[in-house]
Amino acid sequence: MTSEQMELAGQYVLGLLDGSELAAFERAMADDAELAKAVDRLQAHLQALDDTATPQAVSPGLWAGIEQRLDAPPAYVNIRQQRKPGLSRVGRGNWMAMAASVVVALGVGYLAGSFGTGQRQPVMIAVLLNQSDAMPGAIVEAFADDSVRLLPLEQFSVPEGQVLQVWTLPDPATGPVSLGTFTDPRAIRLAGPDLPAPQSGQLYEITLEPAPGSPTGKPTGPILVKGFAKAPLS
Amino acid sequence: MLHVMHDQIDADGLLLRIAKGERAALSTLFESEAGRLVGIAQRILRRRDLAEEAVQDTFVAAWRRAGQFDPSRGNARGWLTTITRNRALNMLRDGARLEFHDSEVLADMGDRSVDATAAFNALSDRDALRNCLGQLDEPKRRAILLCYVTGLNHGEAAATMNAPLGTVKAWIRRGVVALQECLS
Repeated sequence: MTSEQMELAGQYVLGLLDGSELAAFERAMADDAELAKAVDRLQAHLQALDDTATPQAVSPGLWAGIEQRLDAPPAYVNIRQQRKPGLSRVGRGNWMAMAASVVVALGVGYLAGSFGTGQRQPVMIAVLLNQSDAMPGAIVEAFADDSVRLLPLEQFSVPEGQVLQVWTLPDPATGPVSLGTFTDPRAIRLAGPDLPAPQSGQLYEITLEPAPGSPTGKPTGPILVKGFAKAPLS
Repeated sequence: MLHVMHDQIDADGLLLRIAKGERAALSTLFESEAGRLVGIAQRILRRRDLAEEAVQDTFVAAWRRAGQFDPSRGNARGWLTTITRNRALNMLRDGARLEFHDSEVLADMGDRSVDATAAFNALSDRDALRNCLGQLDEPKRRAILLCYVTGLNHGEAAATMNAPLGTVKAWIRRGVVALQECLS
């Protein structure tokens, strides 16, 4: 092993290689058993650090969510063991690509109906996918003035005493922010709190919460639909 | 059942059964490993819901790819750990990094430094990794721990350590070489 190979092996295990560097290193590992072994050895040593993390009690719904996905058609998840050698939005890429293709599939009818001439353009659009079958469940249009327009695509059943609450995640450090609640699944506009301008890739989701809204100010109920924002082309 | 700790579970054997499509084996693996993996992902992602998302992805991947597990390259727990870490790192790198308020950035950096140091201190004295990390200069050790334990990239590590980016990159490059030489 050259010291350059050791530098790369170390940075690979630390999660510091990206893009073409990462792809080149993974190719080198596939061709060089000694290099692959060195990576495995370092990885095994460093995992002693992972074992110092305090184990957490997992949410009761986590296993059910896994089983649900095992039963779903396999098309919508494709996770590799290795880091993806793409550019920035790699992990979310599948979701984003899917959301984007759904936007296209919905086609001209929706877009033409939604944006008449002279109407304000949303700065971001998110197609929220149903968590059980990855079908589109709602569309969120986010405007520059913090308001959002919500267009449900399916009939959400809302039990008595509960509401649907719309969330977004402008910033992972502060966590999800409520955009508002509704009970009647039809096109509505929510004013939304004062937030940074919506960004491409920003998460939007709808959860079921006790009326009149989540008691904690953060999502507590099941996620019905979620998706990531993307800027419209025009 | 309290005595059934993770090291008594034959995770390698479970993965072989999972590769044959036995869902009960996946469920057993989840029972024994999910909490540990959420803890690992949470140190990187800082949020429980995202950490659980990473772990959910891990078990879906384990189900689909158990046949690719190669025991000659490491054990099943390590295989799961790597999947979870990579998933969490990808989510972290993908997350829209919006402008934080200064106070939030400082608090987050502080938390990550505390987690990185705590992980090192929790290593067993008999662990070769502890010994070899301990032999590194403090800045090299700290940069490596920040990146590995809390998932920071070079730039974030430089900001957290209040050091120039090029210097931090050099610390990491030299640090990981010294570490591998010490461990071999």
